[in-house]
Amino acid sequence: MKVIVVSRSGREIVKGGIELPNEASVDDLKRAISKRVPKYYASRQRLTLPLRTGQSRPTVLEHGKSLKEYFESSDGGEVVFKDLGPQVSYRTLFFFEYLGPLVIYPLFYFFPGIYSLLFSLPARTVTHPVQKYAMWYWTLHYSKRILETFFVHRFSHATSPLGNVYRNCAYYWLFGAFIAYFVNHPLYTPVPDKQMYLGFGIGLVFQAANFVTHIILRGLRPADGKGGYVIPYGFVFNFVTCGNYTTEIYQWLGFNIATQTVAGYSFLFAATFIMTNWALAKHRRLKKLFDGKEGRAKYPRRWVILPPFL
Amino acid sequence: MADAWSIRRVYLALYNCILCAGWASVLVRALAALNGAGYSAVYDSIELPLQLSQTAAILETMMNAGIVRSPVSATLPQISSRLFVTWGVLWSFPEVTRSHWLVTLLVLSWSVTEVIRYSFFAAKEAFGLTPGFLHWLRYSTFFVLYPTGISGEVGLTMLALSHMKSSKKYSIEMPNAFNFAFSYYYTSLLVLLLYVPGILR
Repeated sequence: MKVIVVSRSGREIVKGGIELPNEASVDDLKRAISKRVPKYYASRQRLTLPLRTGQSRPTVLEHGKSLKEYFESSDGGEVVFKDLGPQVSYRTLFFFEYLGPLVIYPLFYFFPGIYSLLFSLPARTVTHPVQKYAMWYWTLHYSKRILETFFVHRFSHATSPLGNVYRNCAYYWLFGAFIAYFVNHPLYTPVPDKQMYLGFGIGLVFQAANFVTHIILRGLRPADGKGGYVIPYGFVFNFVTCGNYTTEIYQWLGFNIATQTVAGYSFLFAATFIMTNWALAKHRRLKKLFDGKEGRAKYPRRWVILPPFL
Repeated sequence: MADAWSIRRVYLALYNCILCAGWASVLVRALAALNGAGYSAVYDSIELPLQLSQTAAILETMMNAGIVRSPVSATLPQISSRLFVTWGVLWSFPEVTRSHWLVTLLVLSWSVTEVIRYSFFAAKEAFGLTPGFLHWLRYSTFFVLYPTGISGEVGLTMLALSHMKSSKKYSIEMPNAFNFAFSYYYTSLLVLLLYVPGILR
């Protein structure tokens, strides 16, 4: 079959089109395009069918499918090309996001001279136990995240635009510095011991739980990243769709109960807000996919992210 | 020639006329004060119409988000910096700022720019006209008035800085139960830094 590749303005991206066998897949097409135009590697390409009347969004050519499913005739057809811009793998994105907080936070703990040098504050005379434990806790958290990025998480084919690296790193790094500044401040006021132990206790329990959820999520997806959506089961997933986010939120709550800073709580709220949006989208997607019709399973009644509220 | 009157159009016409009058009042009073007591009296002569006219621009941001198709990202930084200077510097730190000649520079730059801008939009909304003269005026005066306005804003903020630090106004200090601190002084420094990318754009 012959595939014509045009931009959204109608210009031919690949002059003369591309010849492919009738059984060719979307990935074959993307590979062929990147052979002809090397700078458009596959993850940068977004291919859609031309928008039909009545459609608000064009049909996207999905990874893993064969081209036959999209074209009416076996002679081929036309696809619309969009350049998504330079792409970065999720693994790379996560690594840089998490590296910042891992490095920045201990700086404020180990180099209290920062406070007198940059902010003309009195030198730290006493380091409270909670400040030391908070530093270990924080380091544990972000080390865990990096290790999970390389050894636990199974990423789909998806990539992220390069711009997201800057945006996400700004979020993690700036919040990390913001929290580190206040927890390690020379004039920091610790909470009572009982509260500290309660907070870190909660935090550690939910960190462990969060790790378990990641192992379960990993099991839902085959190693080559080809899997589609599956209804998650086991552990907290039996009653909450995004149990991984739930445990993460409660883990941060524990940290904040122990350290008690406006900075920490504002990070908790921001993170909860972001994760709730993701959770709502995922929950909706799963309910739509598993509607119980035509032999498909029906998605069971579950909390979205934060029982008993949502 | 002009298209039908709708609520939207009446609202926009009225808004632009009123704001044009507001800024014209600022301009006239400022010039009168200059002519009379001199530059140190300018602020007192225009405080109320300035505050009203500048703060009313918040309505404009909401309009841009809804009624008028205009990029919020372009107007928001400008309105924020104007509000910061009007309330956060001039109104908050009278002793160091009000009698300074930079106020005259600032007020004249702002008011001339705004009178031109609002009369342009008022003409457009009320009469459906886009007089070439006003259009030309808007774009040519920009080259002088934008730098003078920015200099006024930055200069007055810098003047107030040492006072912000010593008075600790609007600031929260540690230690406190929630381990939070806010320094208006450092925040203002940050705001000054943000002017740089704004100017470069």
